[in-house]
Amino acid sequence: MPSLSRRFVLKSLASGVALASNHLVFSSAARTMPTQKTTDTFVVHNDLPWALETRRSQFGFSPITPASHFFVRNNLPMPSESETSVGDDWVFEVSGCERDGQLTLAELKRMKTHVVASVLQCSGNGRDFFPHDPSGSQWSVGAAGCALWTGVSVADIFERFGGVKAGMSYLTATGGETLPEGIDKETVVVERSVPLEKGLEDCLLVWEMNGAPLSAVHGGPIRLVVPGYFGVNNVKWVRQLAATQTESTAKIQQSGYRFRPEGESGGPQHPSMWRMPVKSWLNGPGADSTPVLAGPNTLYGVAFSGERGISAVELSADNGQTWQPAELVGPDLGPNAWRTFQLSTTIPVGEHQFVSRATDAMGDRQPRAAEPNHRGYGHNGWEDHALTGGSCVGVTRAAATSARGDPVCSHCCNPRGVPQCCLVRSGNRR
Amino acid sequence: LSDQAIAGKQLFLQQAQPGCGVCHSLADANAGGVVGPNLNTLAPNLDQVRSAIAQGVGAMPAYGAQLSANEIEALATYVVEATR
Repeated sequence: MPSLSRRFVLKSLASGVALASNHLVFSSAARTMPTQKTTDTFVVHNDLPWALETRRSQFGFSPITPASHFFVRNNLPMPSESETSVGDDWVFEVSGCERDGQLTLAELKRMKTHVVASVLQCSGNGRDFFPHDPSGSQWSVGAAGCALWTGVSVADIFERFGGVKAGMSYLTATGGETLPEGIDKETVVVERSVPLEKGLEDCLLVWEMNGAPLSAVHGGPIRLVVPGYFGVNNVKWVRQLAATQTESTAKIQQSGYRFRPEGESGGPQHPSMWRMPVKSWLNGPGADSTPVLAGPNTLYGVAFSGERGISAVELSADNGQTWQPAELVGPDLGPNAWRTFQLSTTIPVGEHQFVSRATDAMGDRQPRAAEPNHRGYGHNGWEDHALTGGSCVGVTRAAATSARGDPVCSHCCNPRGVPQCCLVRSGNRR
Repeated sequence: LSDQAIAGKQLFLQQAQPGCGVCHSLADANAGGVVGPNLNTLAPNLDQVRSAIAQGVGAMPAYGAQLSANEIEALATYVVEATR
C-alpha cells in the first residue's frame, strides 16, 4: 500500500496526545466499576452518572460485543439497587391504548418473544473529533456496541391493551431514574419519543442482553430497544410505555439531542437524533498505541447503518486517494447489527494510517467529513476515524515470546534509525 | 478563592435556578447533589465548566439564558478554583 503523507502522521500524533491527556484525567474511576467491567477495558469519562467508553483496542472480531466490553452512557444516576433487583416483579405502565394498565416483567416473559441484533451508539460518539470542542463526554469511537437483545415487541404489548387509540403518532418511553427534589421534572427526566410507526414496526422491551439477564447498568430489568436508532432513544429502566399524540415535552426530547448548527439552541425545529447514518472504523491492529509487527497483517473493524445494513467496506492507506475492498466476515445478524470487515495486507515498517469507508444497502456512502453541529453529534466522517500507529520489526530478545510462541513487542523504538520492537518502554507508559 | 470565584460561589449557592447543588456535589459549597457528576471528582477545566453552564450537557439544562457572560465566567472560575 502507498506510504503515508507527513501531514496525516502529524495529525494523528496530535490526536494521540489529546487522547492521552483525556485518559490521564480519567485514569481511574472514583467509584467501583460496574460488575464485569474494568478500567483496562474502558476510558472512564465519568463515574456519576456512568460514562464508560470501550477502548478501541478492546473491540473484538465477533459481531457481538460482550457486556463486559459494552460502553455505558447514563444520563442520570441509576435507580437504586433495591428497585432494579426486583427482577420479574418490575412493573411498568402502559397508556395510549384502548385500555390503560400495567405489566410486570414476569407477565412480559409469557408473551411471544423476539431476539434482535442491534447496535447501540451514543449520539456523541466521535465528539472528540470535532474541532469546535463541543461540551459533553469526549467520546472517540468506543461509545458503541452491538448486542443480541431478547424481548417482546411494543406492538404486541399495545395490542394486549386493545391496540393504540386513534390519533396517536409517537411511542414515548419514560425511564425509572430517581429524580431530584427541587427541580422541574421535565428538565431532567429521561423520556424519549420516536415515531409510532417505528415503534410498532420493530421496537422491543428487552430483558436479556447476549443471552444473559440485562444488568442494571445497561437498563435492567427492562429497557427499550429501538433498532437502528441512536442510544438515547433506547430508554433504560422503563416505567412508562405510551402511545402519544405528540413528542414528549421533556427537555431531553424538545431541545436536547437535536442536530443543529453551531451556536444555535436546540428546539423542535431541529432534527431529533433518531436513525444512525452509515459509519465504520478500524479497530486494529495497532489501536491505542499497541505496536504492530511489520509484515503480513489483517486489518479489521466494524461497519453499520441503522435499519439498512452494510453492502461494502473499503480501506485506504493513502487517506482516500486509493481504496481496496474489504471482506465482510462473520454472520450477518441483520440490518441493525454491525458487520466486521477485514483486509489482509502487508504493513511496512514505520508510521501508518489506515481509514475505512462503508456503503450501506441503500447506497449511502460514509462521507469524508462529518457535518459540523453544535453538540458534536452523529460523527461518521471516515477521515477523522483513521487508525494510526507504528509498525516495527523483530524483537530485541529472541527469548521474548508469548505463551503461544508469538513474538512479544511492548512498543516500537528507534535506536538505530530503523523502528524495532522493544520490550521495555523507557519512562512512564500510559 | 479569587474575588471572581467568590462572586461565582454566590451564584452557585443562590442565584442559578435550579441550584447547582441540587444535582452536583461540591465540598467547598457544602453541596451534596448526586444527580450530576461530583465536581470534586470530575475536577473540570475552565472551558468545560463554561461550556456546560452556557450550553448544558446531557440532562443538565443550559444556563445561558439566565446568566450573563460575566456571571458564567465567575461561576466557572469558582468551580475550577474550588476543585483544585
